[in-house]
Amino acid sequence: MRKVYVAVVLLGTLAIVGQHLMSPSIGRAVSPEDFAGACAPCGAPCPSKK
Amino acid sequence: MTSTTLAAPQARAGLVADRLFFGLAVFATAVLVALVLLDGQPLSAALILGGFGLGVAFLKAEFSYTASWRRFLTRGEAGGLIGGLIVVAVAALAVVPVAALLPNYGGAIAPLGPSLVIGAFVFGIGMQLANGCGSGTLYTAGGGSGRMLIALAFFMAGSVFGSLSLPSFLALGGIDPVLASDYLGPWGGLALTLASIALAAALIATIARKRGASFRPSRNYVVGGIAIGLLCIFVFAAGGHPWSVTFGYTVWGAKIASALGFDLTQAAFWQWPGPKQALASSVLSDTSSLTDFGMIFGAMAAAAAAKPFAAGAWPPAKSLLAAAVGGLLMGWGARLGFGCNIGAFVGGVASGSLHGWVWFGLALAGSLVGIRLRPLFGLSRE
Repeated sequence: MRKVYVAVVLLGTLAIVGQHLMSPSIGRAVSPEDFAGACAPCGAPCPSKK
Repeated sequence: MTSTTLAAPQARAGLVADRLFFGLAVFATAVLVALVLLDGQPLSAALILGGFGLGVAFLKAEFSYTASWRRFLTRGEAGGLIGGLIVVAVAALAVVPVAALLPNYGGAIAPLGPSLVIGAFVFGIGMQLANGCGSGTLYTAGGGSGRMLIALAFFMAGSVFGSLSLPSFLALGGIDPVLASDYLGPWGGLALTLASIALAAALIATIARKRGASFRPSRNYVVGGIAIGLLCIFVFAAGGHPWSVTFGYTVWGAKIASALGFDLTQAAFWQWPGPKQALASSVLSDTSSLTDFGMIFGAMAAAAAAKPFAAGAWPPAKSLLAAAVGGLLMGWGARLGFGCNIGAFVGGVASGSLHGWVWFGLALAGSLVGIRLRPLFGLSRE
């Protein structure tokens, strides 16, 4: 199990770093709730907006 | 005594720090903190460190929503459940008034409808099969449970399926979020929220007493509950919203699916502004991912500092299957139910949002079903 964990931690960290470096930077970290019309933590719209 | 070998260090008298995994956890955290600081985002670094603190606090306090709900449902013991309410009460002290008074802050809200009801119920089944909820999956996977690594992988997959299902379930109808502070103002909303938590604690304690069981939380749950509640406030201050866990899993799963060639960009969920931006941007731009990463590495550091890390054998195949099924159900349920024990229950109730209590009741009912299903996978009902 330890070997699996070493692999997961190293590959996971590498994937995060790679994905971060290859993605556009948007500045401040955001949550979907920060966007107009969001009615839930995932950014779903309010029932009344439909 | 310390060890840096890949083989687990042998426990002798006293503590054996697992220097390899402690070092890996600290190194990975430092890398992520450095990356966001290079982007000029100190609040993102604060979210990673807040998550790290939560990982340490959950692991050291052995704080488990899943086990404490199960102890309540099977034996009537309510100490753990009341310990969980301590977290909510502490967090509410800051979240309700600040979210109502300051423009850059908001509570965890969600609509009430079939999606919430079905999602919370299914999540409750899944958490008992996986033996961990959203936060529990993070800190036990980070703490060295290979079984929960499986649960985490399937949680991610389930939440991507959930993201594809959610729009059709929302189309079934519902009502807009009901927030105490919208009706009573910031301080009246806080008073009603604290009163609702006290009422729930009294009700739970009464049930425990009638069943002849204990309702007093252990010292670990009191101290851990206060520490976790304070860390929830820290994460709220840094992120602008209450701590949430499962949206991060959805983003990770969607990014992996996209890397494998699946095009999610046309799905309705991924066209909503928030998810759309999360799918296109760096994973370190998503607040829940930042705390999730911190929590995994915090739990890993805490576990490795105390004993040989991940030194146990893999559990039986049936137990791994339960983790996989539970993870899938939790992932799907979390998307439909607008979060897990943290995002929906702790965040929702601490924001004074009615959906938090609805989620709690339905997830508790789902847990009852999940407990009955556990023997099918070779797991005890207790």
